Amino acid sequence: MYNIAGINVDMAPKYPRTLRQSEAYLTDEASESDIRIRLSDEFLEHKQRENPHLTIEDCEYIWLGSEFYELLPEFGGLLLHSSAVVYKGEGFLFSAPCGTGKSTHTQIWLKRFEGAYILNDDKPAIRLTKDGFYVYGTPFSGKTDLNVNEGVPLRGICMLERGKENSIEKADPEAALFGILNQTVRPVSEERMDKLLKILDKLITTVPVYKLCCNMELEAAEVSYRGMTQNR
Amino acid sequence: MKTKKGFMLRSVGGRHVVVAVGKASEEFNGLITLNDSGAFLWNALAEGCTYDELLAKMLETYEVTEMTARAGLDQFLETARGAGLIVDD
Repeated sequence: MYNIAGINVDMAPKYPRTLRQSEAYLTDEASESDIRIRLSDEFLEHKQRENPHLTIEDCEYIWLGSEFYELLPEFGGLLLHSSAVVYKGEGFLFSAPCGTGKSTHTQIWLKRFEGAYILNDDKPAIRLTKDGFYVYGTPFSGKTDLNVNEGVPLRGICMLERGKENSIEKADPEAALFGILNQTVRPVSEERMDKLLKILDKLITTVPVYKLCCNMELEAAEVSYRGMTQNR
Repeated sequence: MKTKKGFMLRSVGGRHVVVAVGKASEEFNGLITLNDSGAFLWNALAEGCTYDELLAKMLETYEVTEMTARAGLDQFLETARGAGLIVDD
């Protein structure tokens, strides 16, 4: 049994990558499961044939994660494709399409701010708790395998774009919504989509969302940190 | 006429947004935002109604002349039809 983002997940990974990534999330075997995920060998072999550049081990890792994230709206949560960095006990998310430089930006935070660390480098889980929105590390963190089993209050979300200069401004609700919906798993069923939109409604009205333009200088981290924290 | 199956309108962050679910989501992966009167018309259309019924509803709700209501309605329908969001029965 694993506890991921506060949810008891009954899954049985077989391959080293997922086993290694999930180890920190192991919990009491006797606890009751909230989610049960089983991927058959046939399913994994099928996925591997469809994606010949992946190994069967990668397939297990990717599709276990995707099953988990699809179910998150049932638990007041959602995936945001982003790099999550923690500094002074709070979580900061940087979201963008692949290849834009999410991880590059959070690596600059690690250089610039002593004590900052990566919570999940690619696919953190966000959940609404009784203390507000929290962001969690999960075993599923993309290529870099960087994650920590921990949840911290979510301070802000940046939609990241590359630019020559560094600048940050509040995103209007439409841009925030569009950005987040494009970087999460969209439920196919109406019922679950309804749940996701209710969570998003709360998220974008309580957690500030910004548009960040940044380069790769240390100043980029200073600009995003200042922009996301001066509104306390 | 009515809104196409699989398109749902919800209020998110104070905005009226339309997203696709089910089969419709295979073709449409975007996000449509509507203004207040657009959302009003969408809700009326979701149950299915005729042009005249829509016009009557608009005149009941908004203090506008018939000419203004028709112009607004025509524009909405043209845009919504163009985007494939409305089907005729």
